[in-house]
Amino acid sequence: MTRRRTVVAVAATVGVLAAPTWLWQASLLPSSYAATDMGYVDDGRAAPGSGSGSGSGSAPPGAVHDHTAPGGGSRSVEQLTAPADRSADVTVELVVREETITLADGTSVEGYTVNGASPGPVIRAREGDLVEARLVNESVPDGATLHWHGIDVPNAADGVAGVTQDAVPPGGTFTYRFVADRPGTYWYHAHQMSHEQVRRGLLGALVVEPAAPSAQPADDVVALVHLYDGVRTVNGSPGDTHVDAAPGADVRVRVINSDNASVQVWVDGAPFRLTAIDGTDVHEPGLVEGRSVEVTAGGRADLVVTTPADGSGARVELGGTAAVVLGPPGAAPPAARPPRDRVDPLSYGTPAPLGFDPAAATRTFEYRVGRRPGFLDGRPGMWWTVNGHLYPDVPMFMVTEGDVVRVAISNGTGAVHPMHLHGHHAVVLSRDGVAATGSPWVVDSLDVGVGESYEIAFVADNPGIWMDHCHNLPHAAEGLVAHLMYEGVTTPFRLGGDNRPE
Amino acid sequence: MRSVYKVLAALIAIEVAIQAAVMVYAIAGLGLYIEGGGVLDAAAVESGETLFPELIGLILHGLNGMFVIPALALVLLIVSFFAKVPGGVRMAAVVLGLVVLQVLLGMFLHGMSWLGLLHGLNALALFGTAVVAARRVPRADVPVEQRTRQSALT
Repeated sequence: MTRRRTVVAVAATVGVLAAPTWLWQASLLPSSYAATDMGYVDDGRAAPGSGSGSGSGSAPPGAVHDHTAPGGGSRSVEQLTAPADRSADVTVELVVREETITLADGTSVEGYTVNGASPGPVIRAREGDLVEARLVNESVPDGATLHWHGIDVPNAADGVAGVTQDAVPPGGTFTYRFVADRPGTYWYHAHQMSHEQVRRGLLGALVVEPAAPSAQPADDVVALVHLYDGVRTVNGSPGDTHVDAAPGADVRVRVINSDNASVQVWVDGAPFRLTAIDGTDVHEPGLVEGRSVEVTAGGRADLVVTTPADGSGARVELGGTAAVVLGPPGAAPPAARPPRDRVDPLSYGTPAPLGFDPAAATRTFEYRVGRRPGFLDGRPGMWWTVNGHLYPDVPMFMVTEGDVVRVAISNGTGAVHPMHLHGHHAVVLSRDGVAATGSPWVVDSLDVGVGESYEIAFVADNPGIWMDHCHNLPHAAEGLVAHLMYEGVTTPFRLGGDNRPE
Repeated sequence: MRSVYKVLAALIAIEVAIQAAVMVYAIAGLGLYIEGGGVLDAAAVESGETLFPELIGLILHGLNGMFVIPALALVLLIVSFFAKVPGGVRMAAVVLGLVVLQVLLGMFLHGMSWLGLLHGLNALALFGTAVVAARRVPRADVPVEQRTRQSALT
């Protein structure tokens, strides 16, 4: 009797432990693997409409090997470069080190620098320029790369360790070449161990000025917002940063949010226009008063502020803990309470042609963010899921060059996810089923709030293997990463080992 | 095995009490931080920095709630198969069920704050169930022969 009881007890124990043990074992990642071997193919050809997405085109993990195009022939990401025979218009060397960062107020922070400072130098190019940036890793021990956030670079210059290049070890170099073909505000940052390296300062701003200089105000200020050890800074300066501006002048303030969650931006003392989002001009932006602009993590917002004619100045508040003060020397405009209302880009500005027809989509995907307990590479925890699947068993969104792609993004978790698609800009079609009515809202970084759903569309016009991930970078490290992949593109680089892009 | 069962059940009850304590500690610290002029926004919350020392309470709450307590509840269930505690398996299963419910409520209250009310109430239910489970293990009234065996096991 006792023996039988013991057998039953042992059997019950095995029963209780079998599922977690199997899940743990199944979650272990190989020491290295190609991005192209991850997950299962989602070819976006399933009947349109949500609900059908999760299993569509499902294939067993590891079955994604042969991506040769129907016509035969495949291209490596290394071949997807800017014209090799064109000489560079802007050349910059960026030396990265692990060292102490000294902020403008004298505070020291342990982190990473670019050319001896953090943030690194502002790179300025003119529309159409070929930019050549040479990364030199002097002493970042885990290796480094540079990703050109928001610029639709050729895939070889995307800077994702393990997908488009190997992480550059200390003593190594890598040259990025791309044409800065869209004027706007951008930034560059590490995409190796990015959840740690970006937070600790491996980043900088990049501005592409329009070919016709008269197209914008002469006064142009970069405001790169970053938290160092929990202290908010603008271009590395905590607190207020004064910028000289004549009374009645138009000043373009290029806000870059390099943190892991959104920042509210508002202006005290003057109205403003939100003239660009993520490097794309807003069509006929209206005057904004008493409302704030939410800048997505990784996103940018250009505000044109007209300083008061009486010389009293204006405060561009960045989250309420740092500000850019615009005005004549000595101007000290008072801080006001943060506005409750926000500019909603869904209805801001006026409509304009998109340049393509989202209704003629040839691929339709679902990107459903969820969360559930499980194992990620053997570690138990609550992990993010994409269409119900844990990393690395996530969908591989397959497209062909020329496809019109629609993606329904939804967030069923209790956290906000700033979703960032590399190499492309997408137009927002609707939020929670409400169609966009304002200017085309074109994004590369889109905050998907708790319970929200968005529909976006873009043209697949930049072949490669592109990360499509959450820019709350610890979330990416927790598995919130998928890829957009063009048929016929392969990569010789491997994830795992020294390449940890998240 | 019976005392292992008892200790585990008691540990779960203690852990639930700790969960309540560290949470209030963190909220008190948050209040102090804001009263002292501290500003919190989404980017600051997600920065991963310890903005005020009592934030450790939130971190402990998360680690305890998502890893330690579920692991204890799972081990309690396994131990219950061997422990021959009257109704012990059923109680351990109820404890595990309440733990799972609690974790789910904790996850989803970030989207629906009213679930926080249930999270708080379910903590009391879990605490009570764990105490009852611990008390199911007979103590003074067990036969001498069995008590000896029990102590030999522990």
